[in-house]
Parts: sequence; structure tokens; C-alpha cells
Amino acid sequence: MLLPACGPQPQRVEDVPAPQVVNVYSHRHYDVDKKLFADFEQTTGIAVQLIDADDDQLLSRLAAEGANSQADVILTSDAGRLGLCKQAGFLQPVRSPVLDANVPAHLRDVDHNWYGLSMRARVIAYDKNKVDPKEVATYEALTAQRFKGKLLVRSSENTYNQSLVAAMIAHFGREKTLGWCKGIVANMARDPKGGDTDQMLAIGEGLGEVALVNSYYIGKLLTDTTTAKQKARDAMAVSYPVMNGFSGTHVNVSGAGVARHAKNKENAIKLIEFLSSDAAQRVFAEGNMEFPVKPGVAAAPTLQAFGTLVQDSLALAKLGELNVEAMKVMGEAGWK
Amino acid sequence: MTRTLSILAAIAALLLCLPIIAVVAAPFYNAAPQWDYVGGAFLWQHLTGTFLLLAGTVTLATVLGVGSAWCIAMFDFPGRRFFSWVFVLPLALPTYISALAYAGLLGPTGTWSVLVDDLFGFRPDIMNLPGLCIVLALVLFPYVYLPARAAFSAGLTDAFDASRTLGASPMRRFVAIALPLARPAIVGGAVLVSMESLNDYGAVKHYGATTLTTGIFRAWGGLYDQGSAMRLASVLLVLVATLLITERLLRRKGLRTADHRPMRRTPIAGSVRATVVVGCSLLFLFSGALPIGALVCDAVSVADPELFSDLGVATMNTLHVGAWAAGITLVIALLLAWSERFTKRNVARSAWLARLGYVGPGAVIAVGVMSLAGGLDARLATMGISGRLLLIGTLPLLVYAFSVRFLAVAAQPINAGLAQQSIALDEAARTLGASPLRTFFSVNLPLLRPALIAAVLLVVLEVMKELPLTLIMRPFDFDTLSTAVHSHTRIEQVREAALPALAIVLCALLPVLALDRLHGRPRQ
Repeated sequence: MLLPACGPQPQRVEDVPAPQVVNVYSHRHYDVDKKLFADFEQTTGIAVQLIDADDDQLLSRLAAEGANSQADVILTSDAGRLGLCKQAGFLQPVRSPVLDANVPAHLRDVDHNWYGLSMRARVIAYDKNKVDPKEVATYEALTAQRFKGKLLVRSSENTYNQSLVAAMIAHFGREKTLGWCKGIVANMARDPKGGDTDQMLAIGEGLGEVALVNSYYIGKLLTDTTTAKQKARDAMAVSYPVMNGFSGTHVNVSGAGVARHAKNKENAIKLIEFLSSDAAQRVFAEGNMEFPVKPGVAAAPTLQAFGTLVQDSLALAKLGELNVEAMKVMGEAGWK
Repeated sequence: MTRTLSILAAIAALLLCLPIIAVVAAPFYNAAPQWDYVGGAFLWQHLTGTFLLLAGTVTLATVLGVGSAWCIAMFDFPGRRFFSWVFVLPLALPTYISALAYAGLLGPTGTWSVLVDDLFGFRPDIMNLPGLCIVLALVLFPYVYLPARAAFSAGLTDAFDASRTLGASPMRRFVAIALPLARPAIVGGAVLVSMESLNDYGAVKHYGATTLTTGIFRAWGGLYDQGSAMRLASVLLVLVATLLITERLLRRKGLRTADHRPMRRTPIAGSVRATVVVGCSLLFLFSGALPIGALVCDAVSVADPELFSDLGVATMNTLHVGAWAAGITLVIALLLAWSERFTKRNVARSAWLARLGYVGPGAVIAVGVMSLAGGLDARLATMGISGRLLLIGTLPLLVYAFSVRFLAVAAQPINAGLAQQSIALDEAARTLGASPLRTFFSVNLPLLRPALIAAVLLVVLEVMKELPLTLIMRPFDFDTLSTAVHSHTRIEQVREAALPALAIVLCALLPVLALDRLHGRPRQ
């Protein structure tokens, strides 16, 4: 058995003719990412080396590595974490006309530290046989007496629940949001448990009538052909809700930034630009049921079937700033 | 020589302690901006959950483990040999995988729950705290079963013969003789069960329970407060330190026996036999057959030849790091056990501190290790050798982290094995002029062989199942079987996760079966 090699496997700075690489720390584990990285490698000749792990742990690894970090690109699936990376000084600003053109302003950092690359919307899945679409047009509607004991939702530990509550705090302030959270807790059909898919399966089983879920998992469930998910597929419809007085649905992004101590900065920028291109955006949309950020690229037909997504125009940087407050509000409301 | 070795032992122990010290010390120098919130009701809520989970799981696992061990060791009945090894199988299942399999069957939308609902009009739901205790106990009971079976199988014969002539009932023999004699073994197993439940994250989170471990991640992830997370980790470590000290105290008071004759099993018949056979069958069904069967079904439904090549690489990676971690922990555990037995130094006595790593959730240990290594890397960089000798993201550092985390796993069978060897043995050798070292090598070590093999296999098994630490500390493009499982379960692809999960179970089968042979075979 070989002794484990000491020293880094990735590129060494001194070796001049070394093959071109870009080192990615990712919190996404999707098959489409592998495909996109392979496409990138093919078109540019730059090899993508990957570590994927849970994002908070990735952040602690970045913190421990400091200036020695081998990360070139940081890729996470939550705008809050991107904001945190910026705050912690893990990212550096980059100027890229390509990125500025491809990524709308509210989906990127003001100081060009990070760029959103694909979106998920927090939407309402409902039982189309029991619920009128008009009853689920807003997030506030979920707290109505009508849905007492009928609401299915994940725990407050779920990032997307946190970012939704953070967005509400940004729009309405703490008190009103606390009231909403209490309303959610009062209407829960059961203690929060399981993942997003579990909430939709529960609708199929008649355990609840409405569920707060991520658009990504809806797309996955509706295109899954296994019989175990048949009941949920048959029963379910989707509403893109808005917040009272505002015109858009809450979205969060997967996004990327160039690491502060990137050793391959040019390659890093190339990779992020590539991910914002039409071709890559289409892969996010069709291959992974995410909404493209680039205007003009269409969402997957499965998701378009329920209407066109109109995004809440809140600057996503706010989500990071308010996430802690959101956790506390949810805790105070008794949201497990 | 003795002196050198005990200094070496102290250094090794210190090296493995460092990351834990880094975690425990973190609260003193790290800011914890959200502690006002985390240290209040939040902490109590998570502590309560932890105690409930611990009480439920440990009680149930002990009852199952002792009960099954008693039946296997004491009675002859159809299928005894079969049950004797299949009760070890659950050790091959990572808790998060078993929990997922059970949720798929008996969760609110599980296949069986739906079936029961259609037939009887009520819907079982295992995804709550009591359900979690049951699922964990079904996976973890072999930790009690194995040592208890070993203790019941040998060493009781003389006492039993005596008690029988005195007219003691079987029940009285169990309570008054078997339990006290097997107590160190049972307590040792129960401690392993409690440590496993304390650091469990995947299963606990999926079932919606709140424990200190989920609290750590809630503070870290949701509140962006690593300082508070580390404080919670310190609370957890203090809890475990208490457990370990208790075990040591109990072990010291334990009875020892010089009787190594194997137990003569009693044939049973009639209703007793029926009860034992049915009980054993049910235990096998729920602890092994059902979750593994569910995995096989899922794996078959998604089997795709392309997936197998990735699987091969991941398997080799897993075994590679596993073997290294096992070798290192074994040597250090022996060194510590030796100096604990032969030198009276306080350093040696506090060696158990190095075993605390077992309970820190993997991610916390990783933070401890990485903060040390990061500091070292920065120091190296200022010396101008940066880029050549980085530690973070290398296999040696990963193996070191595994050693920190799993020293206790290697130490447990070794210490228990040594504890069973009467000091009179050492004294006889010493009287004949043998040095402590020679005594250890020619008297203690040969007798310890089964424990040594057990130690190696257990560590490999743990490395195979470990997830969070591997996930965060691995080099670029380095997948193990457990990270392969994770990459699917994270995005709720439960069926796709079944293939690597099954690979873990299959790889783990070998060590698990070997463990079965090592425990409870009559010693010479």
C-alpha cells in the first residue's frame, strides 16, 4: 500500500508548464455540474478540480486555510452564504463585462464579489382537488384559518425557509414576520420533518393540502416516473406566490465568486463566465430544473406549465444580512 | 526503555488531544456573537432532546443486546448459529442509511405506512423521537451484543455450577451472577452506543429531532456563528467526558474471573423455544433483513453499469484511508494501554482524554484539526516553503483526523481485553525477571490477539461509514463510498444513493463477520 502522498495534488505554483487548472470549492453536487465542468474543460482545456461539501464546513475550511487556500472559485447554493463569504473576506471583486451583461443586478453583489448563476423559487405546492389556486396566491395566505392543520413545511434549519423569512423581514420588518411565522406554526399539519420531496409526497397521501417547497424539487418530482411518486404527481399543482403588496416570488440563487487567494484567477473568471453563458444556462434549466438567471433563456417546460416566474426584486445581498434575524424569529415562533 | 516508551505514549496522546483541546479552548478566544441567544432556551431545548434520545436509544440497545446475547450464549435452539452472526450485521449499516430506509417504509408517506393505512385505517409514522430511538437502537445494539455474548460465553461455568447445586433459579443466576460478571463488557458496549447516538447527525436531522449535534450545525449554519457552535461542541465533549469517567469507575469495580471454560448451552423446548426463535427472527428481520433488503431493491432499480466504475475507485479510496487510520490508531492505542498498565505516571492515566475525539461530531473534529493545520501551514508559508508542504487537503491530514476521531474505537477492545487479563499474570512474569516490555510482548499481547484484530476491523468499519469529516477534509476529486452516498441523499435522490450504500454494507461485511468470529469464541 502506498504511503499517502504529502503535499497538494493540485497544481503547484512553481511548475511553469503545468496543465491549466481551476480549483472549485462547491456546495452543489449535481450531475449537471459535472457535465458543465466537462464541457468547460473541453472548450478551454482548463481542468476543473473539485471538492464538494456542505457550505458551512467549506467556509470553515476556507477560514483555516487562509492565504494558503487552493480554492479559485467558491460555488454555493445560497445567496446568504455568498454574502457571508464576502463579509469574511473569502472573495475578491472581479470586473467582467460578460458577467455584468449576463447576470441581472439584483442577483449579484454590488461590489462584484459574487454572481448568481441559477435560481430556485420558494413556491406553494397544493392539492388541486381541494385547494382553489386563488387561495394560495400569497405567502400570507398560508397562515389563514382555512389551512389549519393542512400545511406541510420543512424545519427552520432548511436554508430556503431561512432565506424566505429573511426576505420577509427585509420587506415587512421583524414584528410582522414573527406574526407570519407564528401563523405558519399554528397551521402545520405535523412537526416539520424530511426534505422537500417528502412534503410533496405527503400531499399525495392526503396528509396536508399545501406545502412550502423549492421549485427545483417540484421539477424533479414531476419528471420522476416511479410509481411511488404517482399519487403526488397526480394530486399536485403549483402556485408562484407573492408577498402582499409586492409583485414577485421569493427566489434564492446558486452563485459563484473568485476566491480571495485564487492562484488561477483568470481561469476562475473564465469558468464563472462560462457558467453564465447561454449554453450553460440552458443546462441549468433543462438538466437541473433551475431557473436561468440570464434574461432570454427559457425555464424548463415542466416549471413553465404553472405560469411564468416573476421574481421578487429584493437585492439578494439582503438575505445574508438578515439570515441570523430570520433564524431567531423562527425560533421565537416555535418553528422547529 | 520503559521511560522512552511512556514518553512516546504521552506525546502520541497529546498529538491526538490537540484538535479536541483546540475545540474546547475555542470559546475562550473566539467571539460568539449569538451566544446570548444560543446559550439560553436554545441550549436547553437541544440538551433535553439529547438526553431523551440518549436514554431511549441506550436503554433499548442494551435490552436488545443483552437479551440476544443471553439467548445465543445460553440456549440451544434451531437457527442459533445463524442468528449468532446475523445479529452482528447491523454494524455494517451507517445509521443515516438505515434511517432513510426506515423512513421509506414507515415514514408518513412510506410504502408500508400507506399499506397499513389502506388496510386498517391508521398510519404509522416512525419519523419522530421515539421512532428515531428505535431505528438507532436496531443499528447500534450489536455494540452491546458482541461483548455481552463474549462475556456470557466464557467465564461463568464454575459460578453457574455452584449456583445450580445451591438451587438458584435461571433468573437468579442471570441477575446475581451473569450480569455482574458481564457488567464491564455491557457498560463498555453501552458507552459506544451512547457515543454513536451523541454524534449522529444525518439520522437525527432527517427525523426532525433536536440534539446538541443538530444545535451545533444550526448555530454554525443558520446563525453564522462558529463561536457558538464550538461552545455547544464543548458542552457535548464535557458530556462525553463524564460518560467515559463513569465507565472507568465502573470498570475498576468490575469483577474479574480466572475461569475461561466455555459455557455449556441448555437445549430448550416448547413455548420457551418458540418464544426465543420468534424473538430472534423478529430482531433479525428489523435490524438487518429489512433495511438491507430495502437497499437491495433500490439499488437494483437504478443499477447502471456506468456507476460501477466510480464505485470501484471510491471503494479503493475508502479502504486505503481506512487501513492507514487503523494501523496508526492500533499502534497508539497499544502504546497507551501498555503505559497505563505498567507505569503509574499521571500522563498515562489521563490518556483517555485522547479518546474524546470519538464523540465530537466529525465536522467539529475537522474544524479542530483544520485550525491547527491552517496555523501550521501559515507558519510554513512564512518560512518560504508554501505550495510544497500544505497540510489541509492532503491524505495524511485526513488520516490524522480519522485517528483523532477513532482512537477510542481501537482502544476500547484493547483496554477491555487487557482488563480481563489478571494482574497476577504480569506479576508472575515480572517475578521471573521479565521487563515490563517483555511481559507485554510475550504475555499480554498474544492473549490480546482477538482484541487487536477487532480493533483494526472496527476502525476500518468506522472510517468506511464516516461522512462529515471525510467530506470536508478530503483532497480534490477524492470520493469515498460515504461521500458518494451523500452526494445523492443531499439532493433527495434516495434510490440512487442505494448503490454506494450497499457497497459500504458489502465491504463492511467482512470486518463484521470477522468480529463475530473473534467475540465469544471460547478462549484457551
